[in-house]
Amino acid sequence: MTAPMVNLTIEGRPVAVPPGTNLVEAAKQAGVLIPHYCYHPGLPVAGVCRMCLVEVEKSPKLAPACATAVAEGQVVHVHSEKAREARKGVLEMLLINHPLDCPICDQSGECELQDYTYQEGRADSRYREPKRFNPVEDFGGDVMYVPNRCILCTRCVRFMDDVAKDTVLNVTERGDRAHIGKFEGKDLTHPWAANVVDLCPVGALLSKDFLNKARAWELDRTASVCTGCSQGCNIIVETRDNVVMRFRPRSNEAVNEFFMCDHGRMNYRGLNRRDRLEVPTILGPRGHEAVDWEVAIDAAVRVLKGKRAYVLASPNCSNETLHLLSRLVKKTNGVGSFRVDQGIEAPLPGVTDLALRADRAANGRGAELVGFTRNETPLAGLQAGDALIIADHALSRADLEMAGRASAVIVLSSTMPAGLARADVVLPTCTVVEEEGSFTNLRGRVQRFLQAKAAPGLARPGWYVLADVLQAMGESTAFFLARDVFQDLATSNPAFAGLSYDQLGLRGLPIAGQAAGVAS
Amino acid sequence: MGFPHTPHPRETQVLSTHFGDADARSVDGWKKRGGYQALANALGTDPVAIQNVVKESGLRGRGGAGFPTGLKWSFMKLGDGKPHYLCCNADESEPGTFKDREIMRWTPHALIEGCAIGAYAIGAEDCFIYIRGEFTEPLQVMERACADARAAGVIGKNAMGSGKTVNVWVHKGAGAYICGEETALMNSIEGKRGNPRIKPPFPAVAGLFGKPTTINNVETLTAVPHILNRGADWYKKMSRPDNPKSTGTKLWSVCGNIARPGNYEVEMGFPFGEFLQDVCGGAPKGRKIKAVIPGGSSVPVIPWEQAAAAVMDYEGMVAAGTMLGSAGCIVMDDAQSIPRQAARLARFYAHESCAQCTQCREGTAWTTKILERICAGDGTAEDLDTLLSIGDNMTGKTICVLSDSCATVVSSALQYFRPEFEALIKRTTIHAVPQVVAR
Amino acid sequence: MSHGPSASGGATIKAGHHGGEPYTPVFVGEMKARLEDLLGRYPTRQAGLLPALWMVQEARGWVSEEGMAEVATVLGVTPAYVKGVVTFYTMYHQHPVGKYFIQVCTTSPCHVCGAEDVVKAFLEKTGCGELGVTSADGRYTVIEVECLGACGFATPVMVNADFLESVTPETVPEVLKRYA
Repeated sequence: MTAPMVNLTIEGRPVAVPPGTNLVEAAKQAGVLIPHYCYHPGLPVAGVCRMCLVEVEKSPKLAPACATAVAEGQVVHVHSEKAREARKGVLEMLLINHPLDCPICDQSGECELQDYTYQEGRADSRYREPKRFNPVEDFGGDVMYVPNRCILCTRCVRFMDDVAKDTVLNVTERGDRAHIGKFEGKDLTHPWAANVVDLCPVGALLSKDFLNKARAWELDRTASVCTGCSQGCNIIVETRDNVVMRFRPRSNEAVNEFFMCDHGRMNYRGLNRRDRLEVPTILGPRGHEAVDWEVAIDAAVRVLKGKRAYVLASPNCSNETLHLLSRLVKKTNGVGSFRVDQGIEAPLPGVTDLALRADRAANGRGAELVGFTRNETPLAGLQAGDALIIADHALSRADLEMAGRASAVIVLSSTMPAGLARADVVLPTCTVVEEEGSFTNLRGRVQRFLQAKAAPGLARPGWYVLADVLQAMGESTAFFLARDVFQDLATSNPAFAGLSYDQLGLRGLPIAGQAAGVAS
Repeated sequence: MGFPHTPHPRETQVLSTHFGDADARSVDGWKKRGGYQALANALGTDPVAIQNVVKESGLRGRGGAGFPTGLKWSFMKLGDGKPHYLCCNADESEPGTFKDREIMRWTPHALIEGCAIGAYAIGAEDCFIYIRGEFTEPLQVMERACADARAAGVIGKNAMGSGKTVNVWVHKGAGAYICGEETALMNSIEGKRGNPRIKPPFPAVAGLFGKPTTINNVETLTAVPHILNRGADWYKKMSRPDNPKSTGTKLWSVCGNIARPGNYEVEMGFPFGEFLQDVCGGAPKGRKIKAVIPGGSSVPVIPWEQAAAAVMDYEGMVAAGTMLGSAGCIVMDDAQSIPRQAARLARFYAHESCAQCTQCREGTAWTTKILERICAGDGTAEDLDTLLSIGDNMTGKTICVLSDSCATVVSSALQYFRPEFEALIKRTTIHAVPQVVAR
Repeated sequence: MSHGPSASGGATIKAGHHGGEPYTPVFVGEMKARLEDLLGRYPTRQAGLLPALWMVQEARGWVSEEGMAEVATVLGVTPAYVKGVVTFYTMYHQHPVGKYFIQVCTTSPCHVCGAEDVVKAFLEKTGCGELGVTSADGRYTVIEVECLGACGFATPVMVNADFLESVTPETVPEVLKRYA
């Protein structure tokens, strides 16, 4: 049942929104950005920064758009003289004690105080008094507090209070002495605490990890999906000069709203490894020899001939790579197996069905859907005479022992599995940020990720290599794009029936038989 | 000076009748003086009937806003199945105002009776009297009186034997002017920082503990038993014949440079000039009154000539360019420097700002710094316009009116006493900071 | 955290030296019962925060971080939350104060009646010398306070819980005699 929509006019544009919508959100629908600081759609309304003041016809006072619900027939002026003057006043006040240290501030370039000041602030300041000064404080976790830059919007306090449900931040003192505070010995160690850095509209809360590493305008941004666990939080991968600098959450109401956990955030480090496999190699009389891809593919096909392919695939492989691996398994009457690393589950209490999951891999569900078996000892079934294919899967001590049974080993990975004694063919592949693909999260939501950086050397996407191998084995796998492989998956696997890259977009869709929402 | 003073013949004593009468502080003493009769009657009456009498009397909020009390009570939806609350605002912190303190010190049971009637009239079983922490004596007296009243069965589970539950509790504040703002007061009782809340929702819908709540000032509630006892007509008659909008008596706190400071109770419509000159004795010997802030520090300051012609009721004060506010009248004589007083009041607001709204947090402090710099002899020609412009940005744009109050102090002082500021600035020899050229 | 130039100076207690005596819990036995009884008035435990902090100050003379942590535990909130509240209200002492804590009202009505001179007299006669600093003998701490709500009786002064009216620079020595 849908409630009747409320019709109103914002900056001359008619818009219809559900009742109860606030003016900031209604304006977004009308394509109008109402400047704001304290308001955030993922947090309770505070209405304190007073930046979102707008003129509502027939109302004597300016209204805070964040705390004003839409009303039928309302006429809202965002850029009227009166509203602009009010916001100019707020900006001036916010800046009187704010240091003009943008050149050394990490937020510079993605700072809402900068943006709105350029947009509608005063050209000069009339403040002639000494500025307030407070020392920088380490808030623990990955967070550093620079109080001089703080505009007391309280987004961080509200996040910890209402979303993380762990009140470790407060507003200390009052008046112009006020600042964000915490209790001695109680740090921002909550597994989701680093979100306060993203939420901070200015450079007051900074990531210690990212501190002074890059300027915002040097970064290239790519939509992706976090591989830290099976939740599948939507993220933005930020790179500079082909190096991953940080991950930030990308909003998706069906998965992670506006947030991502600290564990996921720090996973970017694994993507900058220097010990990458860059060239295909085959084991020859003088050890591993670098060869052309054609030679390597031929070698792999040769090694596989007449053997069962026993595939140990990482649950962080894309649906596309897993699909082609499953075709290889099927063709050779082989086995597909994987293990999921475990960690402590850490929910974000304020958001329904959002947690750092115990399954610390993105695509365990996808692996299962293509017929792979989840197993604590995934190589238990490996028999002498099998060809073992290791697709980016890490090897435990037990795995290494069992791997010795294989009569041939093919490595299809971005890095060499540690401890592996022998590999007949090594096929270097891309990491998640170097290729396009998709994952299926624990609730069965299929989500795409895009390529954020170039792969090193001759490394290729896993599905691309496999398509070549399968073709050399006589299969019809002329795939040139990841979307082609996904199309093949959608037509051959009923779980993915009806899905396509175009439909998935960048928010994803649930597989057949799964409810669309998060709380399935 | 001490209190009580001998009442002036031109006063009309209603609330202040028993000020100074120590016997009136006990339950029995209060009953002997006719107390708790109104409560006994009220508890046997329909709450809506009580609301109507109060509406009819024209009683308006004595805390500052002057909102009609009966109307406020009628916003409470009776029988909605939710707990209702009454809050009594005894956080009296508005500079210049000290009337509620006197009511609580001398006639605690008058307040308890008013609270109990008010609570019953809005369907509440609990009333919290929020008393500022600095009021140690009123706190002690009120705590004691509440305990006595409870022990005597006046309030509690079976108040006055009526079978109805009316509890009155004292809640002690801890030093925050802003807790006199109604929603800040509720937050404070709830154990939070005293931050004013965004409205809507209004307290009558979601107030204390998220439940429908009414909040009234001490003086307002104390007037209610008198109205019930003597009728709305009696109360209404205490007004100017041509202004039925302000009725009853009003306690005026008079302080500053005045011969006889203290609390005075006069009928609405009393001439302000005569009040200050005759009733309060005028300026101290050898001095002249220069300026008056009639309604507590948050209302505009006006020059003596304007005050002398004013009439003491809500409308009269507006006509005189100021407001009745909480009727805390600060008198300044010709020895006072208005810029200095403006600076001192601005500092008060800067100290008391809750820090939520940008304009208030930054603006009150900025205003203070400029004014203090001017007073220190470092003012510049642009400062006065800057002050007015900052004041504009602080007015009508924040959650509560603390910011507006600070701006009012400055704008009214500049409106009437600009030459005093200019004189200070003219003496400036060294500019604090060289002028920065825009762009 | 220290603060740079702020628009309000004289009303803050300065951190002084205080001995590291171990903290002993306040809410045991009778005090615990008193608090629980009080909590019966309110629908939430959090509403007991201001009263509980008053009890800590009454028992210990000030509200230390340990005191905040204890209140937090007793009422089921976090210590950071408690600290946010404590620092909002000026009457909770975040540092130990002298045996006699003297608060002199200096807001406008008292200011025009000469409250500044009363402050000076107190600072001089107590030996404190500076606002917010405890005298060397540990007896006095003098601070300015915003409007005490007794403007007609300028200058009102609070010495601990005693509320004195109409104090003048001349009567300051007399007042101090009572609080020796």
